[in-house]
Amino acid sequence: MTLLFGALALLIALSSGFLGALLGLGGGIIMVPLLVFALGLPIHIAAGASIVAVVATSTASASVYMKDKVTNMRLGLFLALATTLGAVTGAGLTVGASEAALKIVFGGTLLYASGMMWNQMRSTGRSWVPRSNDHIAQRLSLGGSYYDAARQEEINYGLSRSLPAFVICYLAGIESGLLGVGGGGINMTAMNAVSGVPMKAAVATSNFMIGVTAATSTLVYIRHGFVDCFVTAPVVLGTLIGSFLGAQLALRVRGVVL
Amino acid sequence: MELIVSRMLNLGVIICGVTMVSGLTLIWFSGDASNPSGVLSIDWMLWGDPFLQPSHLIFMGFLILVAMPVMRVGTSVIIYVYERDWVYVTIAGIVLTILLAGMFLGIK
Repeated sequence: MTLLFGALALLIALSSGFLGALLGLGGGIIMVPLLVFALGLPIHIAAGASIVAVVATSTASASVYMKDKVTNMRLGLFLALATTLGAVTGAGLTVGASEAALKIVFGGTLLYASGMMWNQMRSTGRSWVPRSNDHIAQRLSLGGSYYDAARQEEINYGLSRSLPAFVICYLAGIESGLLGVGGGGINMTAMNAVSGVPMKAAVATSNFMIGVTAATSTLVYIRHGFVDCFVTAPVVLGTLIGSFLGAQLALRVRGVVL
Repeated sequence: MELIVSRMLNLGVIICGVTMVSGLTLIWFSGDASNPSGVLSIDWMLWGDPFLQPSHLIFMGFLILVAMPVMRVGTSVIIYVYERDWVYVTIAGIVLTILLAGMFLGIK
């Protein structure tokens, strides 16, 4: 390990942790390509570092979100059922011919969800429109409320299309287990675009879920020898700092900006 | 209750940060060669020889970090028991089981 290498890894992690916490992603989707292309690491070592960093993003920003009670724990736990099951499935799947097929499925899901988000933003000018609970959400009281500091109002929300969101989160979990990312981008779009959870609550809740999901597969990664401590330690340190800052900022800006 | 969890998370992050920084510094200055590749393996961690090298510190940092989400789910089970919300005791309980099962699969 050279000092320069460590510093670069720290810098990459700092920025991806910051963005990750801000957007409710694990930051892995930014970090893995950077580590591979900028530092020339093998992809499985980058994924190993990333999966630990995802837990770091989640934990460091969690304390910030929890103080402000934005995280919807009921919703988070309900969907974490799907993501952790997915993570176990993903970690258990052998990477083979099916990889291409999986990528197409994930890409399609992501496109579908971001398309819905885009439509909604164009038609309403907000990142979110109020919806009422569907019967699953009603039964499990998945809706919630929080105080929005940027808009200075109490926001209440319900959930529609809970079942599709649950299925999408299962896919996100598989992706996480396979690729060493948190699956946060997918969780977030599932909650926000499919079920109508306001952006900030979706970010904070997704943040909780990615930590749980990534923790499920971390030991599997270590077991396979994918976690290199000289890479992972600087990465985790950078992520901790970056995501703490990101979470602070996330509570102060409007959902549309994100 | 949420405040306590939030504090514990902060504490965990700090401890994890400190163990990793000290581990890295020790490796840097002492030239610890016990694990030249840097790749961590569980067998080596548990039964490796010599024991308690600086890289073990880093590994412990990781473990503390990974324990944090487990703690969050665990405390939420307790919170829902306290609130007598049995549906969510079950949901949180299942999540905890899957989480621990995933980890167990990792160790085995």
